[in-house]
Amino acid sequence: MSDAKPSTVTLTIDGREVTVPRGTTLLKAAEALGTRVPHYCYHDGLSSPAMCRLCLVEVEGAPKPMPSCVTAAQDGQVVLTDEGRAREMREGVLEFYLVNHPLDCPICDQSGECKLQDYVHAEGRAHGRSREPKRVFGRDDFGGDVLFYGDRCVMCTRCVRFMNEVERDPRLTVVERGNRSVIDTFFDEGLDGTKWSGNIVDICPVGALVSKDFLFKQRAWDLDHTPSVCTGCSQGCNIALHTRDNLVQRVKPRTNLDVNAFWMCDHGRHDYEWMNQGERLEAPLAGRGSERIALGWQEALTRLAARLDEADGTSVRAVASPRSSNEDLAALRAMVDALGGGTIEFRLPMAADEDVLEGMPTLARRRELAPNHRGAELLGMKRVGDDSGAGGLDEAGAHEGILIVLGDALADQDTDFGAAADLFVMLGTHDAVAAANADFLLPISMHAEQEGTFTNRDGRIQRFWPGLQPPGAARPAWLILRALASHRGEATLPGTAAEAFAAVAEESGAFGDLDYPTVGTRGAVVPERAALAGD
Amino acid sequence: MSDAPFRNPGWAGNTGEFDLSEEQVRGEDFVGARPLEGGHAAGAASYPYMLADKEPEAPLFEGPYRARYEKILTRYPNTRAALLPVLGLAQEVRGHISPETMDAVARLLDLPDAYVRGVTTFYTMYNKRPVGRFLIQVCTNISCNLCGADEVMGAFLEHTGTEMGETSEDGDFTVVEAECLAGCGFPTCVQINSRYYENVDAGDVPKILEHLKIQGE
Repeated sequence: MSDAKPSTVTLTIDGREVTVPRGTTLLKAAEALGTRVPHYCYHDGLSSPAMCRLCLVEVEGAPKPMPSCVTAAQDGQVVLTDEGRAREMREGVLEFYLVNHPLDCPICDQSGECKLQDYVHAEGRAHGRSREPKRVFGRDDFGGDVLFYGDRCVMCTRCVRFMNEVERDPRLTVVERGNRSVIDTFFDEGLDGTKWSGNIVDICPVGALVSKDFLFKQRAWDLDHTPSVCTGCSQGCNIALHTRDNLVQRVKPRTNLDVNAFWMCDHGRHDYEWMNQGERLEAPLAGRGSERIALGWQEALTRLAARLDEADGTSVRAVASPRSSNEDLAALRAMVDALGGGTIEFRLPMAADEDVLEGMPTLARRRELAPNHRGAELLGMKRVGDDSGAGGLDEAGAHEGILIVLGDALADQDTDFGAAADLFVMLGTHDAVAAANADFLLPISMHAEQEGTFTNRDGRIQRFWPGLQPPGAARPAWLILRALASHRGEATLPGTAAEAFAAVAEESGAFGDLDYPTVGTRGAVVPERAALAGD
Repeated sequence: MSDAPFRNPGWAGNTGEFDLSEEQVRGEDFVGARPLEGGHAAGAASYPYMLADKEPEAPLFEGPYRARYEKILTRYPNTRAALLPVLGLAQEVRGHISPETMDAVARLLDLPDAYVRGVTTFYTMYNKRPVGRFLIQVCTNISCNLCGADEVMGAFLEHTGTEMGETSEDGDFTVVEAECLAGCGFPTCVQINSRYYENVDAGDVPKILEHLKIQGE
């Protein structure tokens, strides 16, 4: 085996030595050193045509500059990415990119997150030398959510390759040649009916492809980015919430090679307005009907604890929601168990069929239209109701004893829901018709307003972070339920979501011995032992 | 070529020095009507036909053209590779590649229609719009340009009464600019349908047009 090639190569990039696996491209090797070689056409999730000519680097001994996105690193190579010829070449290439670019940054949505802007600002010429009139294409509505500004395009063909290689619906192509070339579909065909085409807006390095939904809505530099998890289905695609003014302005996929890679479906992408919904519950309410009054948390919890003590011994029943976090559901489980144990049900809307992206088994819009049904199942909760997410609550609605509803909006239930209950506690984000009989109506925050975790369909626990401020006195459900438990002297109050998550391990072990640092930003799969115990 | 009405008989290689006919230069077999079904499969893809009579609604493909299409397919590993000659064949039959033709070819070859559009628009020798009976391609590249291509171009436009890229009112002539026709030794070079007209100067243009109108190619 002495003549076998070693599996790594060592080379020098910009005077620094780096060791990378054999076959790594120069671009990736430079990235390992923290050097970002400018590029347009290269994308981690697509093939490399090496056509943008921006990632050219100087390799010692090579007669010509090499495109770093397709050149494999060799042992002993000496590469210069950022000085002398490489920089000169980039300056030249960038000048050509600007020959026909309209430079309409002030009205361009991409401004602030535009690669052309960044690169030219960093290394381009201060003044253009072109005296020719610019060619003009205007804009073209591609259908769906995609709007195309032909003049801004740098012809990297990422979008064409995305449609060919990832969505596998090759509708986009380069039409014409030379400086008349432009991205287009087959005449008026457009992108209507595609389910993933929103991704081409993300991968467009410039403002050529923009989202109609986001058009002229916000400037990119005003947005805060919060890592989160898509709640559209049980796949749990990693996303970033882009927020401003305490509103979610748009949703972008977040790279996670174990789940959604670089992409997300159009459905999840456009399903965010509900997070901005107004008329939220802002203070704890107590009392039924006309007796209902708003209280502070201290008073509300004291009264509720007293009522629970009174009702101690009666049977408990709870309705949960697969849209609640693991921490919330576990706190509910702990509360129900402390009250003597009882059934916890949840309702789950199901789509008729799932859309799996061909070749990407972990990227799909799944049938289960909620992010955390798996977590609820692991905590021993049972699904009731039909595929529209309605019905199945007849027994719960007529329950005599303690009835707790967490997260479920009870949209299909009537005013007599919970009328027979000794104590009806509802934790929700909104008031509802069916909440008329609630003795306590407690405002909770939703996932975009709190830290927590979801368990996706494959048992992968994924964290999300708060991007919005909860309204008024709304608090995470786990905090309310755990505070109630500590009020009753049952347990210590966890101060953070991490501690609330850790409490689950002690109580039921439903999530094995995972903790927040282990889950990290990429998620971790629930150990099989725990998953079996949960079933 | 004493019988020629002008000094450019319309075949490559005539310098005017010798009194030789095209048959004598190229050989009997090469000249004249070539088989519509393409002859041997090896050449089926490369016969450059441009017919004066075009049928924009002609079926893709029937009769001898179907035979030629089948021959083309046998010469390529997949349908994607056969796209260029098949588009050429479609243009031969229909005269130009309309969006409908692109779609028909895409379905015929089982390719994405957007891809077929991209290929068709990339190559300038596919006509994207209907052209006249005679497509006059005047070379204006360097050699021809130095020898008066602009005047030749102007003469063609003047005598056909069209704009560049447009078709004359009688539907006979479309005049376009061509980049190098590889006839740099015989400037100005003009390609009219499938034939080359060499050493053309502006004074030849009326005679060429008259000849075309009377005798066809």
